[in-house]
Amino acid sequence: MSALALLAAFGALLVAGYGLLTLLVRQDTRFSLTEQIAFSWLLGTGAVSLLLWIFGLLVHGALLPALVGIVCLLLGFVGWRRMVPRPLRRKRNLVEIFLGIIVFLEIAIVFYLSFVHTLGWDGLLNWEIKARYAFANGGVLPATYFSDSGRSFSHPEYPLAIPFTELWLYFWLGEADQFCAKTIFPIFYVVGIFLLVALGKRLAGRTWIGLLMAAFLFFVPQITVEVGSAIGGYADFPLSVFYLATIGCLFCAAEQGNAAFFRLYAACLALLPWVKRDGVILWTVAAACGVFVILRTKRSPLFFLGFLPGLLIICGWHFYLSTKHALQPADFLPVNLEALGSHLYRIPPLLSAFLAEFYNLPTWSLFWFVVAVGVVYLLRRMRDPRVLVLLAALIVPIFFYLLIYVFSSWPSYLDHVGLSISRLLMHVAPVGFLITILAVSRRREKNPARVREGGVVTCIMAGSERTPVVELA
Amino acid sequence: MTPRFSYGRIAHVVLWCGLAVASLWVSIPKIYSGATQYPLRPSGPLHTCDSYLKFATGASGASKDVISIFHSMTVSKRIIIFTRKDDAFSSGLGMTTAYLASPHLVRLFEINGTHPDIELSKLNPDEVAAVVFCRMNRPAWLPAGKVFGSGLEVIPMSEKVRR
Repeated sequence: MSALALLAAFGALLVAGYGLLTLLVRQDTRFSLTEQIAFSWLLGTGAVSLLLWIFGLLVHGALLPALVGIVCLLLGFVGWRRMVPRPLRRKRNLVEIFLGIIVFLEIAIVFYLSFVHTLGWDGLLNWEIKARYAFANGGVLPATYFSDSGRSFSHPEYPLAIPFTELWLYFWLGEADQFCAKTIFPIFYVVGIFLLVALGKRLAGRTWIGLLMAAFLFFVPQITVEVGSAIGGYADFPLSVFYLATIGCLFCAAEQGNAAFFRLYAACLALLPWVKRDGVILWTVAAACGVFVILRTKRSPLFFLGFLPGLLIICGWHFYLSTKHALQPADFLPVNLEALGSHLYRIPPLLSAFLAEFYNLPTWSLFWFVVAVGVVYLLRRMRDPRVLVLLAALIVPIFFYLLIYVFSSWPSYLDHVGLSISRLLMHVAPVGFLITILAVSRRREKNPARVREGGVVTCIMAGSERTPVVELA
Repeated sequence: MTPRFSYGRIAHVVLWCGLAVASLWVSIPKIYSGATQYPLRPSGPLHTCDSYLKFATGASGASKDVISIFHSMTVSKRIIIFTRKDDAFSSGLGMTTAYLASPHLVRLFEINGTHPDIELSKLNPDEVAAVVFCRMNRPAWLPAGKVFGSGLEVIPMSEKVRR
């Protein structure tokens, strides 16, 4: 019975997400099945959690999931009427089949691991706690929760994408269930895999490179088995998947006239601050990259409206917290010039702590070394604005993360770094995979005539190289 | 026409193959040990809390009993939880108990040492539903409460205790 309820809950999420995907893509661009599933999941979790929060301001109890369910059905109806076009199937070669089997086995292992492990510390006490309390209170977080000093350890100010996705499952299950709540996290892993495969295909023009990178995601211990990994119920891996989708779409949106990817970029961008507070930093970086792309490709100023949903979510959430008199987070000092000036001495030790993390082999294996090699490869292609975007999306958040520890209010700021740095770096790790894909493929040097358009590699042409059907369409 | 196998191309393939093999060489032992470290645990609505409580106190399936104790108390009163400052287990146990104490408001006291007499004397007993000790000694003047394993004790503040 629980399995059926879970399937129904996931089905509703995917249906709602698919409806949104069709509205955003408008049959302009072909999307593979894996892309459609991945974006449907991301948009579905974002939309359902937002709807639960917004409708929860007006109603609670049984009416709340019913209302959200109706919206999911309506979106599903829209999706059914509009259907995103898919490229025609082509025959897979042996390498792709072999890599596909490897990736499938890895996914099975990640599901197994997520059931073997309990929710991690933050997974329970920062995220699931909100779902449980909201479920017990008719779908709305109790007002006392935000101002209860005894529960400040659970960060009441954290946003609700993950907890309210868990809440959605609880509504379908009819009870708060920590075991079932874990199921959403391996699904985010699957979505990350699908995105890497799909973006690998779009960026490199070859499916096997995407599959190979997706297979290697499993071999980064921080993502699979370490504290805060994809299976522990933390928001960090889901955030990294949203960031991967955002930056991947922006890379493809840099193509002139490809507005479908820009709309998808704007949707994923808006959800970054809704997944985790640190998402505001990623939102800032990804939005700056978006501004760069808009200006560089001389697009209509109307494209700037794409930043509005994210701003609305950031401001809306902060306004909501202030109306609830939520306790201020105690982990960081107020960010101002005075605090910065008096804590500048922390920068050198922070730099060494970050550097030490990059060659922390038990946590990252050789991942950062491989990414560094990829970055060196791409330095020759810095004139391509899309490569610049990828490099900025990888490197700038790391500097911001380093900077926020300057404002740490922990008695030992290096302990603060030690506890959270690996999870913060995980946010940008999938973008590191995109860089590696580009570096491994070496497309521009290999065949410049086919992939250049005014000195810029193009996603649409990259697609047409391997799928003649797209050109016919 | 460019040759199919240039030196640059061979170097490129060798570099990335080398990196891939080295990555697998470093990763596989870590992933294997991480994947085989834990046995399958029983599933259940409170399986994470049960695991935490078992880890910290040795008591199995205690979450449900802790919740039922808190549910039997007046919701408008606070749960007071005492933890030890220098003990991560005590702190974790305190937070897990706070999680289970909903919908009561909670107050966490992190104290040095194991005797919370001073903090207890400052409390107004009429506003307290229960006092919880996480890996700490209960003061002798308080009656015994419900004990879970070794280290978690919940003492409901009945009329008798308040007097």
